[in-house]
Parts: sequence; structure tokens; C-alpha cells
Amino acid sequence: MLPLSLLKTAQGHPMLVELKNGETYNGHLVNCDTWMNIHLREVICTSKDGDRFWRMPECYIRGNTIKYLRVPDEVIDKVQEETKSRTDRKPPGVGRGRGRGRDDGPGGRAKGIGRGLEEGGPKGQGGGRGRGGPGGKPGGIRGISFFTFIIFYLSNSP
Amino acid sequence: MSGRKETVLDLAKFVDKGVQVKLTGGRQVTGTLKGYDQLLNLVLDEAVEFLRDPDDPLKTTDQTRQLGLIVCRGTAVMLVSPTDGTDEIANPFIQPDGA
Repeated sequence: MLPLSLLKTAQGHPMLVELKNGETYNGHLVNCDTWMNIHLREVICTSKDGDRFWRMPECYIRGNTIKYLRVPDEVIDKVQEETKSRTDRKPPGVGRGRGRGRDDGPGGRAKGIGRGLEEGGPKGQGGGRGRGGPGGKPGGIRGISFFTFIIFYLSNSP
Repeated sequence: MSGRKETVLDLAKFVDKGVQVKLTGGRQVTGTLKGYDQLLNLVLDEAVEFLRDPDDPLKTTDQTRQLGLIVCRGTAVMLVSPTDGTDEIANPFIQPDGA
């Protein structure tokens, strides 16, 4: 939970703001921004020593003068709801290797394809199936399948 | 980003109205808002500063100082509120909870 997302969630709620100079402002949060600048409505201002009071219909407070804010407890439930629904919306992580093969120069093979051969395994595991760079075998162009390429390669090797 | 919409409070509604401005360092000024920008620089006309008690700079006194037309630098502006409807009142918190 981020302080500013809590504050954003607290919009419409009553809160207390204490400034660095010790004055406090009680009011309903109308709006806030990423600098913590805030707009309060129906405000009661209390002097630092706490013996003078003013009421004002609204006020704008610059974020960098704020010492702290007190927000009602119910805001925390709300913010947890909101962050939960946000993570629920997030799509599951899908990450498959996609990219270009490395160009190994003339006669070289595209990386990832050759690896399967060297290991002798049936299949290169999780190998990046990238595009062969220029200068590879004529068959090493895009669109040719992995196994076709192996067969092609074996039949051409001495 | 559309230039002006990112401000929390649209000062347009205060133009040609009386506003009270508190500045960092403790000065307190009222005046008629004539203009502003996105950095919160303000132009105040017929500005009046409320002088503070030299012994206790936290307290503002009834003494004032006429400043005329002024520009308040945005970085020094702590608080802006309309003078209309702003009044000193008795303690509204029946039982001060130390808040």
C-alpha cells in the first residue's frame, strides 16, 4: 500500500492535516495529486497552540508543507479492496522466448538451434527460436521448422 | 497531460475574489486574486499583510500592512483559501482529543 494511493482512496473522507508549522486542518478531502497537494472542503483550522480556530469553506494546501495526515480507519479497508481488484485484473504472466538469433558470421548457425544438436537431446529446451542471421545456410531462413532444420543440417554435415 | 487540468484546485473560481494566502516563514496575506499560473505564482491586488506579534511570531495580530499589488511566488505559497466564509470561531471540538 502506497501512501499516495491511500490518500487517493481517502477522497471524500474527513481527515486531519498537520502542517510543518504546527497548524492543523480538519476537513473533507476533495482532491489530491502526486505532490500531495490537497484540496479540503468544510475546513476547521486550528492554530499551533490549539487555542484559536477558524472555519473556512475550502482550502488548498501545498504538499511540501504537510507534516502528516490522519485518515479514518475505514479508508484502509477500501484501499485493500482496490489494490486486490487491481491485482485480480492483471493478466497471468506469459513469457515465451521471442527474439532474434545471433549472427555468428558466415557459415555460423543461429544460436539456439545448434544447441539441441550438441547436447544430443531430442529437443533444445527452452531455446530461443530466433531468426538466423545473414550468412547462415540457405535453409536457415524464417518459416522453416525446427526439426526440418535439424534434418537439413545433418544431411549436409560431413 | 493537458496543461492546467493537473492542478488539484482550479484557482479560476477565485479570480477577482478575496483570497487568504499563507506563505512559508509565517507571513499571512489577503488580497484580490488577479492572476495565477500552474506553479501557483499568484498576483494579488490590494494585498494586506497581517503582521505578527514580534514576541510570538506564531500569532497574527490585528495590525496590518498595505502592500498593494504583489506577486506571491508559488514555491513560498503554503495555503490558499477564500476570504469569503472564513471566520474565527470558538472551539468547535467539544473535547479536544489532542489532535
